[in-house]
Amino acid sequence: MLTVCPYFHVHQPYRVKPYRVFDIGSDDQYFNDQSGTDLDNRFIVEKVAEKSYRPTNRVLKELLDRHPEFRFNLSFSGTVLDQFEAYAPDVLESFQELVATGRVEILADTYHHSLAFFYSVPEFKRQVEKHERKIKKLFGVKPRVFRNTELSYRNDLAKWCEDNGYLGIMAEGWDKYLGWRSPNYLYRPAGCKKIKVLLKNYKLSDDIAFRFGNKEWDSWPLNAETYADWIHSHHGDGETVNLFMDYESFGEHQWEDTGIFDFLRSLPEMLLRHPDTGFKTATETVQSYDVTGEYDVPDVLTWADTDRDLTAWTGNDIQRDALNAIYYMEKDVMATKNRSIIETWRKLQTSDHFYYMCTKWSNDGDVHAYFSPYQSPYDAYIAFMNALSDLQLRVSQVVAERREKEASTETPHETMTSEEEVVETENVEESVQIEQKVNPVNPPSPRKWWQKILDSIPFLKSPQQGEV
Amino acid sequence: MRVLTFGWEFPPSKNGGLGVACYGLTQQLINKGIEVIFVLPKTQETRGNARFVFADQERLLKMVHTDVTPGPYNQAKSTVDVIVGYDKAGNPIVKSRSILEEAHRFAHHASFIAKEEEFDVIHAHDWTSYLAGVAAKLASGKPLILHVHATSFDQAASDNVDPSIYKIEKEAFDMADKVVTVSGFTKEILVKKHHVPAEKVEVVHNGCDTEEPIWHTPVLQNLKNQGKKIILYHGRISIQKGVDYFVKAARRVVDVDPDVVFVISGWGDMKTQVIDMVGEMGLSKHVLFAGALWEEDRDRMYQTADLVVMPSVSEPFGLVPLEALQHGTPSIITKQSGVAEVLTHALKVDFWDVDEMANQIVSSLRYPVIRQQMVREGKEQMKGMSWQRAADKVRQIYQSLLQYVTS
Repeated sequence: MLTVCPYFHVHQPYRVKPYRVFDIGSDDQYFNDQSGTDLDNRFIVEKVAEKSYRPTNRVLKELLDRHPEFRFNLSFSGTVLDQFEAYAPDVLESFQELVATGRVEILADTYHHSLAFFYSVPEFKRQVEKHERKIKKLFGVKPRVFRNTELSYRNDLAKWCEDNGYLGIMAEGWDKYLGWRSPNYLYRPAGCKKIKVLLKNYKLSDDIAFRFGNKEWDSWPLNAETYADWIHSHHGDGETVNLFMDYESFGEHQWEDTGIFDFLRSLPEMLLRHPDTGFKTATETVQSYDVTGEYDVPDVLTWADTDRDLTAWTGNDIQRDALNAIYYMEKDVMATKNRSIIETWRKLQTSDHFYYMCTKWSNDGDVHAYFSPYQSPYDAYIAFMNALSDLQLRVSQVVAERREKEASTETPHETMTSEEEVVETENVEESVQIEQKVNPVNPPSPRKWWQKILDSIPFLKSPQQGEV
Repeated sequence: MRVLTFGWEFPPSKNGGLGVACYGLTQQLINKGIEVIFVLPKTQETRGNARFVFADQERLLKMVHTDVTPGPYNQAKSTVDVIVGYDKAGNPIVKSRSILEEAHRFAHHASFIAKEEEFDVIHAHDWTSYLAGVAAKLASGKPLILHVHATSFDQAASDNVDPSIYKIEKEAFDMADKVVTVSGFTKEILVKKHHVPAEKVEVVHNGCDTEEPIWHTPVLQNLKNQGKKIILYHGRISIQKGVDYFVKAARRVVDVDPDVVFVISGWGDMKTQVIDMVGEMGLSKHVLFAGALWEEDRDRMYQTADLVVMPSVSEPFGLVPLEALQHGTPSIITKQSGVAEVLTHALKVDFWDVDEMANQIVSSLRYPVIRQQMVREGKEQMKGMSWQRAADKVRQIYQSLLQYVTS
């Protein structure tokens, strides 16, 4: 028996508009670009809905109806779900229909598609929990297999997932850690006892996600029959073929004229022609098969480019500066207990913002190797840092007001009724406890050795620090 | 292979980027074994003999002198003082001639030189030498390459070009076998405005000096000690260079950050106008006019500045941001510049977008990491922009023309 475990990742960030330094202190809307360009979030969601989400969901629904054996997995960032609700509610409904078949599993994720695990585990946990609540509310299910932003993975993340009750976790099946071994089996993360890791078969996944429409590729044009043969050839040397890719591969990364929808439409049939081939969701996969060995990943592994690490997000000085600046604010942001501020801060944690600042290959003049709605990584950094400066200002104002109130009166909390003051009480208070619980097992925060450098940055010497 | 080259200026005479570019390219062509006969209109000191002549230098680089005081950036009708002879007492007889007249004179000499010399290809730099190049081609029948460092459209910063320069450009481009531009930006001007067929135009981006500079003691120390940030403009003060947009951006910057000082280093026909503008906008306390800075003074200013702005309205290439980087200072450059095509690690803005220019200035002062990174990665990128690479391309163009002629 050989089963295929397809997984499609659905995500859109809230892109920051070209926020100028003059806007600081006077404009708290960072994500409302209305230029009709790639910085206009509504425009993008509507565009991608038309090119990808609607047609792909039609095909997937068709396939579920036609093949009772067909199964797959989806993961959503909370930021894309929020944008569906606001800009394309019919798309959300079509996803709900898919999930209602009971043959589409939803994976756990961070709400804000962030890299929080590597900067603040307490914040990471809050985002995972928020995500879980959102999935429960919209789809009525509870995720049991975890995948992290950009498929980022490390031994301690697997351990965290095990400790928090997940049955499985997804990761890149990378040669550096697999050696001669096949990604088509389940493995046990190093340091874990129960949880199983599902490894992406990057060769077969990327044939669809990256190479499908490439006319220079040896196997172009690829048809479903050939592709099914490639998968069938793993009979006897594997149990599960894990095909992980961006959902937007269908119709957005690979346009309709590449024939990607026809390919998708006929693939299950071609796969099921072989009598001993089937589909499984991630949970079914981890429940069906035993592990065959250990997967030991001490350093961060992702599914990105040829390096499979985080350098596309954290590789240069401006990226590290922006990341450190945003996580440095955590304590003050949480202290505001202000839902709007906390949510804005989290939207700014979305990994895409840092990706747009990547200069990794720009020296080769290959600026198009990375997709970005900004004209340059520096424009992305300036817009982000200006927005963050404004947020910092708002945070310090709220914190100061709160302190003043607490000092001058003994007004009970119930009297703070203005809308801005409404707080996700359970969430925030819960999080404070978590922070105390999780901190001891936390890897040492990178914040410490950065402290000195950060202190020398004028941006961080905001009025707030003076007032403390 | 021997090349008859016509140019208008050459270091160390104090001029703009044209002489620097001719020097950099010529030196690397010689290094590649190409013999260069470099013809200049006027007797002058030349740089590099001591460096690139070696033993065979005299043979490789032959200087032919005429008697013009160069001034290539002026309009065709502006005049230059020329020594036409000497009186009995030995004092020079000075006459005023227009640049246009001088360009024609240069062409006249060129046809004689072309008959005296033996060479395979003709290479003429900038519009003042185009006629000389054409004359040499007519006299010798050898293939002609015109090297476009600027066009009349750049100098006018509009479509309101000097008709006599445009006429020379248009006719010379038609006569040339190949036209080399210093950027895709300039190629587009030629294709759109001069109607030169795109396949006749090759882009050869300028190179730059990547040697580690000598570090001088900074200037303006008292301002720096007061915590002032220094923003530098370096270049001619003319309509093409967009200094007026720089001043407007300065006003916007000072409104939000009074601790910024703007230094204007340069000379040019718009100087009075810009000084008046600074006064009218109430910026006298924030704008310093440093005059034209050269050599060590210029380097010292680059090293002192926190940020350099090149606000050009139309800049065929633009050496300033590369010079600044060499001295450890990042730049804001306009999208209307050729250098923007090769330098990723600079902030880029439309010349007319004063608000964005000001935003970039203030933001890069607020978040110093961006400046550090632009310098570090920019210097790395500059290593790939050598004159050697430019010379390789030029040599290929020479060879393609020779094949064409012999076959």
